Amino acid sequence: MAGILDFAPAIVLLPFVSFLVALSVGDRLPKGGAYAGIAATAGSLILSIATVLTVAGGQTYDATIYTWAEGIEAVDLTFGVLIDPLSAMMLLIVTLIAFLVHVFSLGYMNDEGETGLPRYYAGLGLFTASMLGFVVADNLLMAFMFFELVGLCSYLLIGFHFREPGPPSAAKKAFLVTRFGDYFFLVGVVAVFATFGTAAFAGSESFPALAEAALRGEASVTTFGFEPQTWFTIVGLLVLGGVIGKSAQFPLHTWLPDAMEGPTPVSALIHAATMVAAGVYLVARMYGFYAISPTALAIIAFIGGFTALFAATMGLVKREIKQVLAYSTISQYGYMMLALGGGGYIAATFHLMTHAFFKALLFLGAGSVIIAMHHNENMWDMGGLKEKMPVTYYTFLSGSLALAGIFPFAGFWSKDEVLYETLLHGLDGNPILLAAYAMGLLAVFFTGFYTFRMVFLTFHGNSRSQTAQDPHDVHWNVKFPLVVLGVLAAVAGLVNMVPVAELTGLHIEYLHQWLEHGIAGLTSEHYSTLLHDFAGYGEAGLHLSPLIPGAVSLGLALAGSGLAYLLYNVPEPIRHTDRLGRIKQILYNNYYQDEYQVWLANGVTRPVARAANKFDGGVVDGVVNGVSGVSLFAGGRVRRIQTGVVSNYAALLTLGLTALILAFGILGGWFV
Amino acid sequence: MVPPEFYLLLSAAVFCIGLFGILTRRNALLFLMSVELMLNAANINLVAFSQVWGNVTGQTFALFTMALAAAEVAIGIGIILVLYRNFDGVDVTDATTMRW
Repeated sequence: MAGILDFAPAIVLLPFVSFLVALSVGDRLPKGGAYAGIAATAGSLILSIATVLTVAGGQTYDATIYTWAEGIEAVDLTFGVLIDPLSAMMLLIVTLIAFLVHVFSLGYMNDEGETGLPRYYAGLGLFTASMLGFVVADNLLMAFMFFELVGLCSYLLIGFHFREPGPPSAAKKAFLVTRFGDYFFLVGVVAVFATFGTAAFAGSESFPALAEAALRGEASVTTFGFEPQTWFTIVGLLVLGGVIGKSAQFPLHTWLPDAMEGPTPVSALIHAATMVAAGVYLVARMYGFYAISPTALAIIAFIGGFTALFAATMGLVKREIKQVLAYSTISQYGYMMLALGGGGYIAATFHLMTHAFFKALLFLGAGSVIIAMHHNENMWDMGGLKEKMPVTYYTFLSGSLALAGIFPFAGFWSKDEVLYETLLHGLDGNPILLAAYAMGLLAVFFTGFYTFRMVFLTFHGNSRSQTAQDPHDVHWNVKFPLVVLGVLAAVAGLVNMVPVAELTGLHIEYLHQWLEHGIAGLTSEHYSTLLHDFAGYGEAGLHLSPLIPGAVSLGLALAGSGLAYLLYNVPEPIRHTDRLGRIKQILYNNYYQDEYQVWLANGVTRPVARAANKFDGGVVDGVVNGVSGVSLFAGGRVRRIQTGVVSNYAALLTLGLTALILAFGILGGWFV
Repeated sequence: MVPPEFYLLLSAAVFCIGLFGILTRRNALLFLMSVELMLNAANINLVAFSQVWGNVTGQTFALFTMALAAAEVAIGIGIILVLYRNFDGVDVTDATTMRW
C-alpha cells in the first residue's frame, strides 16, 4: 500500500510546476500567475501536514528516487528523499511560510501595480521548490545542488527590480559572497565522497555513521594521511564554509543587509524559510558528523556567538526598518549556530522554527508598513502608525516580543534553551563555549533594544511625515498572513517549554520527544551520545536548573527593551544614537566590513591575480612561444635544400641511399 | 648454364648506367630512358634468380614491372609534354618554380 510518504516528492514538485506555469503562461493568467503559486504551495502545505502527522505516527521514509549517474566501481550519484522528524518539521515551516508569502505578494506586488509579475512568481516558485528539495535531500551532493539552486533564485529575486541601480548590484553581491562559501562546500562534498565513498545522510552506510565507526576503530576510511579525527574536522569545516556563506555568518554576512533591495516578501522568504535557513539546516542534517569533532563544534559555537553579538550591535543604529530586521536575522542565525556548536541540537532546531515564524511575521509586517508608507522605509519618517494600522501593529508587536525574547512569546523559549544548552556544556570546562555564551548573552540586551527602538519609532509617538499621517490602506491579503504568523509567534514556543517542564515535572517538551524518534543515527539521543563520547559534552554530569539562566536572559531582554522604551517611547523621539559619536559612525558603516572586503579584493586579490597573469604570460606562454620560435627558425634554414632542380633531388636521393647502405654495411659487419 | 654472378654484374652495370644518366643529363626524355634502364636492371635480377631457384614467381614479378614501366612512361611523357608547353623546352633545370 502506498503510504502518504510516497507522495513526498510531490511537495517539491508542486512549486516547481507553479514555476513552469508562471514562466510559460504567467502573462496570460490573472494576477500574473499568483494563483498558480498559491495553489501549489497550499498543496505542498497540505501534503506537509499529512507528512508530519504520518511521521508523528512513527513512520519514516528514505528512498532513492533517481540514479542520474551510475558508477562503475565507483559511487552512484542519486536523488533521494529522506523524511524524518527533522525534515518533516522543516517541510512544514517552509511550505507554510512560502504559502503565506505568496498570499502576501498579492497585496505587496499585484495591488501595488508592479510589472514583471510572472517573473516574480516564477522566481518564488523555483525558490520554494529548491528549498524543499534541499530539505528532503538524502545525500550531500543532492543537498549541494539544491543549495546552489537556492542561491540562484535569491540572485534572481533580489535583483527583481533590475532597472534600478541598487538591486542588480545587491543581487550580484549576494551571489558572489555565498558562492565564495559554496566553493569550500563543493570541496567538502568531494572530500566526503573521497573519504567515505558515499554521501548519504541516513543509514548504517551513511557518512556520519562511517565516520563514527572509524573513530571507534570499527571501520577504516581513506583519510589521506591524517588522523581520522583531524581529517573529519577538516572536511566538516570545508562544508561549514557553505553554511557560513548561506546563513550569513561572520565574515560572509555582508551580502544579507544588501539583499534588502529585493521585494519585501522575498526578504521574508529568504530570511525565514529558505536561503538563510538552509545553512543552519545543513549542519543540523549532518549533525552526526559534526558531533564527533570538538574542534569543529567549538568553531561553530564561537562564530555563532560572535555573529550574534556583532550583528546585534550594528542593528542598533540603522535608520531603515528592513535594515534593522536584516541585522537581527544575522544575529538570530548566530544563535542557532551557537546552539549547534554548543551541543544544543534541539535548541537550534527549536530556534530555527520559532525564528522562521516571527521573522517572517516581522518582514511581512514591515512590508505592510512599507505599503502604507508608499515605499519609504526610513523609520524617522514614520511614527504613530499604531492607531492607523492596528492589525499590523499588534501582529508586529507579537513578532517583536518574540524576537526580543520576552516571556512567554516563542523567541523566549527557544533563545533561552540555546543559551542554557551552551552554558551547560560550557561549564563542563570548555572556555570557548563560555566565551561564546557570554557574547550571546550580551547580544540579548542589544536585541531587546534595537527591536523596541524599531517598534517605537515606527508605531508610537507622533507621525513625523505627511505619509505617516495618512497611510495607504492594506487589504486582507496582507492581514491574513500577518494574523496567522502573529498567533504562531506568540504560541509556537509552547511546544518546548523546558523551564516549565523542569518546574512542574510535566513532560511537555514535545519537540524533544519529536526529535528523539525517527531513523536510527539521526535522533537527538544518538547525537547526545556522540557529543558525550567524542566531544566530552556533559561529561562532568552537571545538572543546572534552566530557571536561573532563563531569568538572566529574560532580565537582559527586558532591560534592553526598557531602555528603548525610556528613550524612544515619547511623542517626538530624538536621535539618541548620535550621542555615541564616532562609535555610531563605525556601527552605521558596519565596522567598515564592506570597505575592508573591497580592500581585500583590490589590495590583495588583484595584485595576486596580476602576478599570476604575469607568470602565465611570461613563463607559461614564454615556453610555448619559445618552442615554436625554434621550429620556425630551423624550418627557415632547412627549407633552402628545396631548390626546385630535379637533378639535385636525384643526387640527394642517391647520396642518401649510399649513406644508408654504408651505414648498414658498417653496422652489419659486411666489410670485415 | 651461365652462373648467376654474370647476370648480377650485367644488372649492376645497367643500373649504374641508368643512375649516371639521371645524375648527369638535363633532358627530361633522357631521364625517362634512364629510369627505364634502372627498372630493367631490376628485372634482370628477378628473372636470373627465378631461373637459379627454379621458381616462376620472379618472372611473374618481372611481368608486373614491365606493366608498371609502361604506365610510368605514359605519365612521364605526359609530364614532359606539359614541361615543353610551359617552359619551351625539356631541360629539367629550367623548371625550378616548385621551390621555397
